[in-house]
Amino acid sequence: MGELAASAVAGDVLVSLGLGSCIGLALLDRRAGVAGLAHVVLPASGGNAAPGSWKFADLAVPELIDRVVKFGARRPMLEAVLVGGASMFSVSKSSLEVGQRNEAAVRELLRAARINVIATETGGSRGRTIRVYVGSHKVTVREAGGVEKVLVAGATRLAA
Amino acid sequence: MSRYTDTQLDALRELANIGSGTASTALSSMLGRSVDISVPSAFVMPMAEAVGTIGDPESEATGVVLGIVGEMPGSVLLLFTPKDAELMCGLLGVEAGSEFGESALMEIGNIVGASYINALGQMIGMELEPTPPAAATDMLGTIVETVLAERAGAGDVALLLDSDLVVEGEDCSVSFLLVPDQGGVDQMLERLGV
Repeated sequence: MGELAASAVAGDVLVSLGLGSCIGLALLDRRAGVAGLAHVVLPASGGNAAPGSWKFADLAVPELIDRVVKFGARRPMLEAVLVGGASMFSVSKSSLEVGQRNEAAVRELLRAARINVIATETGGSRGRTIRVYVGSHKVTVREAGGVEKVLVAGATRLAA
Repeated sequence: MSRYTDTQLDALRELANIGSGTASTALSSMLGRSVDISVPSAFVMPMAEAVGTIGDPESEATGVVLGIVGEMPGSVLLLFTPKDAELMCGLLGVEAGSEFGESALMEIGNIVGASYINALGQMIGMELEPTPPAAATDMLGTIVETVLAERAGAGDVALLLDSDLVVEGEDCSVSFLLVPDQGGVDQMLERLGV
């Protein structure tokens, strides 16, 4: 929770297990073979979060962009995948809101950064696990008790 | 990295102990069996690590969550493994996995959780009231993460007080997590004078 990671090492797998109301945001530069993943917990920091607190969308999204760029991704080539934002406890209104607000906040920040969202698996009431396969740029999602589903098909490495 | 002293953690564990003691009495009268409690553990850790500490994040679990409203907001989460859920439902004579199964677990959560919250409120002299329960059957990590996400708005550290209720004669237990809002822990410690 509230973590983020980036890699340019083919064969690395970035994972967020059991996303509920949180959002797993993957950023890919498929040509450069760089990927990053952030686990966003809450939509906004309100401006008073400790430095290095990446659980808030407004802090995590720019940081994740910086990290993948540091690993050699090119900003105009970045594409995003969103997973999570579910409303877990059917009775609890507040968690429903958190999931939806998380997704809205992340989408707004991506729009402002001119990054296209190429695949999503959000909303609903099931927990999800996202896996990002660095190098092949395959992105998969798995729901509780379900099978792994491919959100972004992996490709053989493109010549850079 | 813990910002609480051992004495403070001991005090919190003791709170959890008395709370779950009261809860075990409630569960015992509901099931008509005696119920033992384990020694509670108190974890203070970054949220990122909290989920993994509780168990395999991708394993299946049923969670019943009750909110705490009043002077110290927070959440109480009861966790059942699929096996525990089945045994628990069996003791109540309903079929696990059915609509009645989840409703029965929710009722267990309600009674056990509410008595835990009441005991806690009495000990620290605060007005605490439980909100109605909500249940979900999903990945363990998802359930825990969602409860933490709702509560940990201001901090990156999660305090988890975890105890187990074990039904005598059955290999069956419920684990129990208290997740106070960030300021709540300090309030509790202040009331306890440590």
